Amino acid sequence: MKTVMKMKQRLGAYLFFVPCLTIFALFLFYPFAKTIYLSLYKTDKLGQAKLFVGLGNYAELFTSESFFHSLLVTFIFVAIVVSVSMLLGLITALLVNKNFPGIRVFSTAYALPMAIASSAAALIFEIMLDPTIGIIDKVLGTDINWLHDERYALVCVALLTAWLNSGINYLYFSAGLANIDEAIYERASVDGANEWQKFTRLTLPGLSPILFYTVVVNIILAFQSFGQVKILTEGGPGESTNLIVYSIYRDAFFNFRFGGAAAQSVVLFTMIMILTLIMFKLEKRGVKY
Amino acid sequence: MKKRVIASVLTVSMLAAALTGCGGNAQTTGETADAQTQTGENGAEVAQAEGNTTASSGELDLSGTTITFWHSMSGVNGEALTTLVDKFNAENEYGITVDAEFEGEYDDAINKLKSSMVGGSGPDLIQVYEIGTRFMIDSGWVIPMQELMDADGYDSANIVPNIAAYYTIDGQLYSMPFNTSTPILYYNKNMFEAAGITEVPTSLEGIGEIADDLVEKGGAGEALSMGIYGWFFEQFICKQGLTYADNDNGRSAAATAVDFDSNGAALKIVSEWKDLYDKGYAPNVGVGGDAGLTDFSAGKAAITLGSTASLKQILNDVNGSFEVGTAYFPSVAADDEGGVSIGGASLWAIENQDEVKAAATWKFVEYLVSAESQAYWATETGYFPVTNDAYNEEVFKSNIEQYPQFQTAIDQLNDTKGEYAGALLSVFPEARQTVQTEIENTLNGRQTPEEAVQKMADTINASIADYNLLNE
Repeated sequence: MKTVMKMKQRLGAYLFFVPCLTIFALFLFYPFAKTIYLSLYKTDKLGQAKLFVGLGNYAELFTSESFFHSLLVTFIFVAIVVSVSMLLGLITALLVNKNFPGIRVFSTAYALPMAIASSAAALIFEIMLDPTIGIIDKVLGTDINWLHDERYALVCVALLTAWLNSGINYLYFSAGLANIDEAIYERASVDGANEWQKFTRLTLPGLSPILFYTVVVNIILAFQSFGQVKILTEGGPGESTNLIVYSIYRDAFFNFRFGGAAAQSVVLFTMIMILTLIMFKLEKRGVKY
Repeated sequence: MKKRVIASVLTVSMLAAALTGCGGNAQTTGETADAQTQTGENGAEVAQAEGNTTASSGELDLSGTTITFWHSMSGVNGEALTTLVDKFNAENEYGITVDAEFEGEYDDAINKLKSSMVGGSGPDLIQVYEIGTRFMIDSGWVIPMQELMDADGYDSANIVPNIAAYYTIDGQLYSMPFNTSTPILYYNKNMFEAAGITEVPTSLEGIGEIADDLVEKGGAGEALSMGIYGWFFEQFICKQGLTYADNDNGRSAAATAVDFDSNGAALKIVSEWKDLYDKGYAPNVGVGGDAGLTDFSAGKAAITLGSTASLKQILNDVNGSFEVGTAYFPSVAADDEGGVSIGGASLWAIENQDEVKAAATWKFVEYLVSAESQAYWATETGYFPVTNDAYNEEVFKSNIEQYPQFQTAIDQLNDTKGEYAGALLSVFPEARQTVQTEIENTLNGRQTPEEAVQKMADTINASIADYNLLNE
């Protein structure tokens, strides 16, 4: 009798899982399984699985020059976006960490990129970067076709993305800074530490848990950038800004080759997963709570 | 217990009904399918439809019919279309209501159509861009416009022949041209005068010859501002009088491979383009149809290529700061013989197994291509009127007087023979993308024109082979 009671209690506990699991199953597990399924097929014009090709789509990917190029471009992009946006976020957070008049204006301004939709920002930048009517060439006195020159296009898109992402980083870092006890700075001053020493010995270690979290989030965010690329360059010039997410979009919704697109998605997923696992490994060594 | 049995029996029967319903939808022909889908809707309508099956479609009672129309017109064009639709809803004598829905750009609309046809809930009428034509024919989802026209006794000779030619396959007009454009050459008259050039070049070669004069004497920043646009590439092939793809440009049957590599058309285009680029006459101004317009409107480029539909926009942007001239779209070499093909979009009637809706759809299409509607449409947007009688409307005539540049486009179209109607290709959107990428890579010095053409052909042929294999 007692065991039955226990069983019932346990069942009740599992019942509480049901709503959450249903939502996950519907919006996460099912699409994920379907993606893997589709990646094993070639699809017809309606995007329905038609011809089983096994790992054929993957084989095609890994022999395709364009795919490797896309991977390379993505990595460069992610590196620029993550480093610049975190640096921007950190600097702005440090700047407003002191109290001075008008601080609210600045703190709003620094957090603002977060509130701007990537597509809207991209449209504004498109005009600013235009070689004929854009302000950037006018100010710099140059005649560079920023978005249509292979040398600059990727950097431009990356810097725009970095700026957009810096808003959320600023928030994270501000929260992190607020958590550091003021008293330790005072004690350090008494011991004769200069500003730089305070920053490297106190601020950075104090920020390390939040630093780790922002790195992970930033990498994932950067990998998923899409709107900017779609509006500013459509993957061009040539294929120099053909980030993997954009390439997936093109294959799936433009070329209606869901099989190939699904295979790319799976590869992207695997990469992000491995990266995240590595970082969690590193976290155990480097982060002090 | 009894209740349960009844319930389960009901469930099973409902499921069965749903299944047969699906089966019926999937079948495109057959009377049983017809009857089943109709029973699924409402009884009154079925009786009506059945009662009238024997009568000619002209006598169907259309009152109270609502049809769904998907389009991709936004901005100025969208407003003009909305005006037309509202007018039809308010004034048509049949009691038809048109529910017009903006479905995003052409690409988005056709993709939504694909998804919705899987679910069996497509529109009655949809606007599809010209490069979606082969796909629409192959899809088996459409009622050829010719059938609707013939059923109503509409005289197809009223449609401008060169426009109809594009959408006519196997002697049938598959869709009704609605917004039609061709590319033309725009030039800065002031710069031409300053450079002392009286003859507007008719070829890319010709542009190369006067380019130095335009820059040095005419004061241009660059001679030609030409966006890297697949449509231009296709037009340059037409202007050479050559074919893009096999099977008569994909018109006698679905194309199986491209022709532009073996007939030399593409190499000639890419080489000339690269030559102009290397000499600094035609810098890379970006990808897409509108990419070249900014430099021209800003008074930097002496010449640009663009759609006729851009005329209004260009005149607005230039705003009188210089005089805009128009001329025929250039060929590649001076001695090329060919014509331009049309672009834009047409209206496709979707087969929804409903005779009443099909008839109502036709009435709406007939209204849209009427002289009055087309004259209004052309005046508001800059597209061509697609029917002959629209050219005689006062509204349109006074528009030509106001914008004489538009006459160039009309003359160019009339000078073109129907045989240059342009290619049909199921994978055209993708092919266009490929062409643009390879041209851009060539301009950037990553490959020779020969390599570019080879890559284009290989990539597009692989897509065609894949498509034909998977969609038989």
